Amino acid sequence: MRFSFFHLMPWTELEEAPPQWPVSNRHFDPERGKQLYDAYLDTMVFAEACGFDWVGCNEHHFSPYGLMANCNLIGAVLAQRTRSIRLAMLGNLIPLLNPIRVAEEYAMLDVMSGGRLIAGMIRGVPHEYIAYNVDPDESRGRLREAAALIVKAWTEPEPFGWEGEFYQFPSVSIWPKPLQKPHPPILMSASNEESAEFAGRHRAMMGMTLIADLGIAKRCIDVYRAAARAHGLEPTPGHILLGYNTCIAESDAEARAHLSEGLRYFHRVLMHSIRDAQRLVIQKSRFFEKEHGERFVNRLVTLKERSIDEMIEAGSVLCGSPESVVKQMRRIRDELGNGHFNINMKIGNISDAVVRRGMELFRDRVLPQAREL
Amino acid sequence: MTSASFEQHHVDLDSGRVFYLKGGEGPPILHLHPAGGPRVTPAMAALARRHSFYIPTTPGFNGTATHPKVSSMADLADLAARFARTVIGGPCDVVAESFGGWTALWLAVRHPDLVGQLVLQAPAGLRTTGGLPADPAERLRKLYAVPERAPKETRSQEVLAENRRLYGRYTGGITLDETLQQALPRIAARTLLVFGTLDEVCPIETARRLMAGIPQSHLTYIDGAAHVPEYDQPERVARLVGAFLERGEGFLVRRADAA
Repeated sequence: MRFSFFHLMPWTELEEAPPQWPVSNRHFDPERGKQLYDAYLDTMVFAEACGFDWVGCNEHHFSPYGLMANCNLIGAVLAQRTRSIRLAMLGNLIPLLNPIRVAEEYAMLDVMSGGRLIAGMIRGVPHEYIAYNVDPDESRGRLREAAALIVKAWTEPEPFGWEGEFYQFPSVSIWPKPLQKPHPPILMSASNEESAEFAGRHRAMMGMTLIADLGIAKRCIDVYRAAARAHGLEPTPGHILLGYNTCIAESDAEARAHLSEGLRYFHRVLMHSIRDAQRLVIQKSRFFEKEHGERFVNRLVTLKERSIDEMIEAGSVLCGSPESVVKQMRRIRDELGNGHFNINMKIGNISDAVVRRGMELFRDRVLPQAREL
Repeated sequence: MTSASFEQHHVDLDSGRVFYLKGGEGPPILHLHPAGGPRVTPAMAALARRHSFYIPTTPGFNGTATHPKVSSMADLADLAARFARTVIGGPCDVVAESFGGWTALWLAVRHPDLVGQLVLQAPAGLRTTGGLPADPAERLRKLYAVPERAPKETRSQEVLAENRRLYGRYTGGITLDETLQQALPRIAARTLLVFGTLDEVCPIETARRLMAGIPQSHLTYIDGAAHVPEYDQPERVARLVGAFLERGEGFLVRRADAA
């Protein structure tokens, strides 16, 4: 089993839930922001010493939910402050961006890190399409075309032009090219069956997060596997990455208490206005096929309303003492066949000290048992 | 503009009669057709709003007579040169597809004074892999990424079989013309290479040989197209080729008012 340490870089200083999305930035204090970036980067660098295989981050806009408008900037810092851990950009929201710029920045990260990039090519959550003013109906088409263009930019030895539906570039020849050949590993989201089919068709690694039901997750993984096989990839467990909110403490009770507190801030403050914006996009566009849109909203509601015990039982979180967490991992692995956990410990406003203690426990008492899963 | 504005003509050259389609208005384009034979594609119809197309039929294709002294790709290039001088009146831009691209390359090598700008769409003759399968359904799948946009076939099986036989005769049954490859650096024309991202018939090795060999060449991929971008993605092809023909190297510079 491989492990990724994932960080959202949340803003932890809000007292009240923002009334609407986007969240007014009058609440952002740059001095406090500097402190948070320093602390979060220290935590992410520490993941290498704790035995994590990847350190991961992602892109969000216009919200205290995450302070990484461009996670490649964080990746550049990590490239300099780490030596061997892989840098997982999970990822750039490529339908919203200039794909040539993404190809260039990812190539820079790969070269600067000595070939450690995992290249996430992510469609993103619905409300990000308001932020960058892109038609949500075009999200799938843009994702497909941007991914193809990025791979072409990485692999084509001669200058080339591109005439597509969404992108036209008369002449492309990026410097640098990636270090990994033929190109860095690609990871795509597979959190619903539609996305899972897409990731498999592109022979990418699949990532899934916010799992509310192991049965539904298994169906997505089955769809991914079938699509990958149909397109020439025999997926291994290592191709399947499952994202988990995770709290590890000395005891089950302590971990539950920390997670409960962190989730309260996460749902009450960080997610509050986002849910409304997501509903708006889902209702007013074809971002999801209808049934997938309803499932997406229902999944968020389900995760919000469950108790910690219910979430553990449903396989939605990893929470407890190191020994309990290993058991929970084993059960999920047995049910879903994944070879990779993507662990997020900074949930809501859980303190960095608690996160760091959880990482030490992971290093000392989880990893020795879980590595061989 | 539709294909209805194209009319059939013929000219008697020293080697024999050449039939050709002519249509459109504007600077002349010599169009050299693929192994499928001459036709007016949607992209050509769009380009014909600002260009005059001359589309000669390769001798023997579509039931026409062969020319006894025209039997190789170099011969076809020389014939195209005679056609350009006689019918068009001299130098012109050349647009060519697949089999016609092979001829066009030889034309640019042997008659550089006649070729203005050169547009090659998935040209044949410089590949070691790819090609077309015999099975008709599989051929269709390889040729077109958007099969519903493929032209309806109205010719007899005999005509199509004879076209294929002649293709073998002119090309000598080879897929990699090494003599041509060595001659590519002699091509003076600025050249636009157009390839579908999904083309398995004429794989990307061809583009790389051409880019390495032709001094002034630009490669552009048409997303969502297989071997025949003219039918798979006509708007994208017309936009690209039109900009190249009208603005030359300037097609690299984005212009908000460009067509």
